[in-house]
Amino acid sequence: MPNLNDTQIIRRGLLGRIPARLELIGVIAAALVVIVVLPSLNAFAPEGSAFHVSDFTINLYGKYLCYAVLAISVDLLWGYTGLLSLGQCLFFSIGGYALGMYLMLMIGKLGQYHSDLPDFMVFLGYPKLPAHWVPFHSFWFAAAAVIWVPGAVALIFGYLAFRSRIRGVYFSILTQALTYAASLMFFRNDFTFGGNNGLTDFKFIVGHDVRQPATQRGLYICTGLLLLGTYALCKWLTQSKFGKLQRAVRDSENRVLFSGYATANFKLFVFVVSAIIAALAGALYVPQVGIINPSEMTPDKSLEAVVWVAVGGRGTLIGPIIGAVFVNALKSWATRAYPDLWLIILGAMFIVVVLFLPGGIVSIPRRVMARWRRPEQPLPPLPTPPVEASADPAKTSPASSAS
Amino acid sequence: MKPELILTVEDVNKNFDGFKAITNLNFYLEQGELRVIIGPNGAGKSTFFDLLTGRTKPDTGKIEFGRRIDLTAMNEYEINRLGVGRKFQTPSVYVDHTVYENLLLSLKGPRGVFSTLFRRTTAAHRQRIDALLELIRLGPKRDWRAGQLAHGEKQWLEIGMLLAQEPQVLLVDEPAAGMTDEETHRTGELLISLAGQHSLIVIEHDMTFVKQIAEGRKVTVLHQGSILCEGRFEEVQANPEVREVYLGRGHKDR
Amino acid sequence: MALLAGLGGLAHLSAAEGNDATARRLLAQAVVSTGPAQQKLLAQLGDSGSPAVRDLLAAWTRDEILIYEAPDGSHVPVVLEEQQDAAGKARAVRIDNSQYLADAQHHELRFASGDLNAGDSDMRLRGAIQQALDSLTLADPDPDARRSAAVKLGNSQKKQYIPILQARRGREPDAAVRKAIDESLALLQLGDADAAVQVAAITRLAELQALGSVDALRRAVAASPDPRVKEAGRRAVQSIEQHISTVNFFGTIFRGISLGSILLVVALGLAITFGLMGIINMAHGEMIAVGAYTSYVVQNVFGSGFGFHITLPFSFGGQLLAFGFTLPGLNATGWWYESYFLFALPLSFLMAALAGLAVERSVIQFLYRRPLESLLATWGVSLVMQQLFRMVFGANNVQVNSPSWLLGHFSLDDVSFGYNRVFVIAFAIVIVLGTWLLLTKTPLGLLIRAVMQNRDMASCMGVRTQRVNMMTFAFGSGLAGLAGAFLSQIGNVGPSLGQNYIIDSFMVVVVGGVGSIVGTVCSAFGIGAADQVLQQVLGSPVMGKIIVLATIILFLQWKPGGLFSTRSRSLD
Repeated sequence: MPNLNDTQIIRRGLLGRIPARLELIGVIAAALVVIVVLPSLNAFAPEGSAFHVSDFTINLYGKYLCYAVLAISVDLLWGYTGLLSLGQCLFFSIGGYALGMYLMLMIGKLGQYHSDLPDFMVFLGYPKLPAHWVPFHSFWFAAAAVIWVPGAVALIFGYLAFRSRIRGVYFSILTQALTYAASLMFFRNDFTFGGNNGLTDFKFIVGHDVRQPATQRGLYICTGLLLLGTYALCKWLTQSKFGKLQRAVRDSENRVLFSGYATANFKLFVFVVSAIIAALAGALYVPQVGIINPSEMTPDKSLEAVVWVAVGGRGTLIGPIIGAVFVNALKSWATRAYPDLWLIILGAMFIVVVLFLPGGIVSIPRRVMARWRRPEQPLPPLPTPPVEASADPAKTSPASSAS
Repeated sequence: MKPELILTVEDVNKNFDGFKAITNLNFYLEQGELRVIIGPNGAGKSTFFDLLTGRTKPDTGKIEFGRRIDLTAMNEYEINRLGVGRKFQTPSVYVDHTVYENLLLSLKGPRGVFSTLFRRTTAAHRQRIDALLELIRLGPKRDWRAGQLAHGEKQWLEIGMLLAQEPQVLLVDEPAAGMTDEETHRTGELLISLAGQHSLIVIEHDMTFVKQIAEGRKVTVLHQGSILCEGRFEEVQANPEVREVYLGRGHKDR
Repeated sequence: MALLAGLGGLAHLSAAEGNDATARRLLAQAVVSTGPAQQKLLAQLGDSGSPAVRDLLAAWTRDEILIYEAPDGSHVPVVLEEQQDAAGKARAVRIDNSQYLADAQHHELRFASGDLNAGDSDMRLRGAIQQALDSLTLADPDPDARRSAAVKLGNSQKKQYIPILQARRGREPDAAVRKAIDESLALLQLGDADAAVQVAAITRLAELQALGSVDALRRAVAASPDPRVKEAGRRAVQSIEQHISTVNFFGTIFRGISLGSILLVVALGLAITFGLMGIINMAHGEMIAVGAYTSYVVQNVFGSGFGFHITLPFSFGGQLLAFGFTLPGLNATGWWYESYFLFALPLSFLMAALAGLAVERSVIQFLYRRPLESLLATWGVSLVMQQLFRMVFGANNVQVNSPSWLLGHFSLDDVSFGYNRVFVIAFAIVIVLGTWLLLTKTPLGLLIRAVMQNRDMASCMGVRTQRVNMMTFAFGSGLAGLAGAFLSQIGNVGPSLGQNYIIDSFMVVVVGGVGSIVGTVCSAFGIGAADQVLQQVLGSPVMGKIIVLATIILFLQWKPGGLFSTRSRSLD
């Protein structure tokens, strides 16, 4: 049963499809709860009451929401365009670092060394602030950097990759190498971003104390809005003709190319957009978690984000959100209850989902319904479809065909 | 007056790691012509299409479109935008999209990223798609997902997608594969009706089908990467060399 | 490592035992005597060549030799044992006969550290002890130790070592050590007041192409007013520097080739599973780790045995789930112990191949048509395996000892070639040849190539593709295991061992051209050499690595299919 190729999975409808109206109602309800109800309960319900939502919970959920945004950016590439990027966490981290630089400078003289320089610079013996740090005193400069720096990195890398038609697993491997190289760079002390300790000990964000519950609540609401906005943007993107083309590229890139579309431009556009989305998530993640360091951009972190999407259900917008929240909630629980087994659980979950549930959690209702409606009628057998040339290096041997 | 040439291929060579796929190929296609290319497996037919559509670059030689537009310097989508459409050997449609969407994505029009984001589908577009659906007889299945179609229907859909692009030249690779006799016949009629307005090159193995569309027209026989002979179908059929390399086997089929 | 050194030392000790006993008696006398007699005894000790006395001399300089005044008035020098009893007292070991100090009734005596006085030592005495120590080191049975001692003396700039070195020069059997002594002598003579001696020393250093003498030569040139010294010094520096750059050049090439071989060994398995089968095996790194850990287990079985025990945090019927096993040790010693690596190599291959087989059957066989998902699922496998390594072998690195025949190095005109690096090059050649022969000259190879080119067609022709897939994947994993056995000899073995190599391996295969063994070989050596050269030029391994990665991305612009791409003419 699991021995299907991508086309078969799509053809049999094994990817989840959610009825449009149900999705709309669900999203509105969830948005209300997340953005309005939970923060209100945190602010107004008295502590100790059954309705009170603790600061810890708000902080934790804020983190999950950031992950959900990151997951959508992964899905936009993988689920919709067929580009499995293993470098999304690089953009997430760049966004985080850009805002982190601003937050570092806002510490001012309150650091351990009571210097204008960030602590790590004093510790490493910097004589003065490096020139590229100076403009980060401005929040708006940092906010702009959150967008344009990862956008530019994605643009350059994507241009090179798509121009030379790197696709499929090669794209995955190269993005992995990219993020690996970047993490090596950020781990270095002389790269001016704090080496392996990264940036931390933040105090203020636009004049508010980062550690105050009210500030955290504000950040949480911003994250909720970002998620809602990302969802709406991606909904529009994927439902437009552009979105149809995106999926066409995923399913049959040659057909699109030979229909007069410059597929490289389309892929580049999606790659840059999803890099920026990931970076925004990273920027909101940092003040809520209080630290950003190079371990956030290791290839493993990106793969973990892919797990969220796979578990939730790729090729949908709800799936990644569900997956990110579900897997991270599971992680929070498991790393406390069974710290030794968490990686085994994560790995096994991934294997099981890939093998037996390619559509993820969101495809479960559909599967159950299909089984329930036609219990005796299995799906009709299909002719063996052609294996895509790009997907199978074995096919690229010279002897395979010359007609 | 001689009709104008739409495709000019002169002295083209192509090597793959020492394997000569195409050797000294000269080929001319006139405006409005329907040309059938036949040849045994490995004759270089698909490579020839690859060269025409920019997928492969020739080692030497020139390939020109219409009045001196050099195709060797262009890539796939640029060549397509000039008006060269191609149907692949194995039907290549968007399996996750409906028949309607498949055609919509293929309609002639601006191909940029932003035009796909902001342009709306107009009534004229819908009419055009309806007409195409009629032509390829997939009207009742317009909302089926293309992945659910039978092999022959996919071939038709791909032809429809090709026509939606309104190309000047259609390169059609084995259109009849996987079709019933009746479908094959209808495909032949469709291709014949397209000739005149469009120029077509058809690669085909099925001799009945070739006979149907090539009767009275020029046929090219490719063998080992170069043209073995070229001429009216009846003449080619009678050519002893051709019979030896190709029709010798084809006889039994007829 | 320490264990092996100990074993090596033992053999020498037994031969020198008689010598030691005499030397200890001399030392005991030296401690209690004074003046010229003491100096003479120390000089004798320096010539004794006894390693045991060396530690005691060192103890003397730290005032750890204590004097016990016996009831009969005689003075007995002793050292206290480290192990103290509850009262903070320890047994005393006599210097002269290495017995425990006992009273007349044969009761062992115990002392606290303040109970006894230290043997007197002043500046002069310390100098003499140090000299004796240095001479002793010069007489060490290990030639490497003798050489480094000679180098140390040469850099000391103390003329009093000249006679010691000259004395040793006459007796030295080892050519490399003789060269080092010559260099040291010349370096010391460089400081001579006589310009003629200096010039002779400079000429000698230039003749010897003494790599370490450049700074000393420069100093001598700067300090000397004599034009002859200046001229000779300038020429010597020039000639030696040229030699240094030659040595560095060949050294870099050698390191590049050996790194290339490591990459090749590591990536070859991947070239099979990824290149031929199209499976992105993210658990390839863990297959390497399986090989490395197998070597570790084999080593322990040859030693004192291996066992592990895991308790799972689940209870079953009130009982915590636990499992584990123990392998008894062979307690082998000597060459028998050192031969463990010969057993570890095939076992590593076997274990990794079995692990590969298990992964193929349980996961990969369902994913042959879905390369992206095979990447994801095998990453899951890799996480699980890493955690299992942590549970079985611990989160820290484990120690795998190299057999002595892989330690050390030989020098060819100052370029040093480590045995392990030479071995890895030979090893790479052997397994590449083996793989190539297997793929091209055996029926299995024919089947593998058939299945990899067209799975469906091969299946139609009656090839049992399932079995071929299994065998191929197991073979690729086995190669990874061999790589792991090898890596255990040149680096640390830990749960994330494989992670350090996985990205490099993928790069090697992608750059080489997927499906091409020749390409993999070329790209492994190319990347290895580029890495080492950049490291040499930039002076930083990380920057070198980053530049290599960036170059690879740009390289793929030029040749998207890699070095040896097999160009495709089929479209879909």
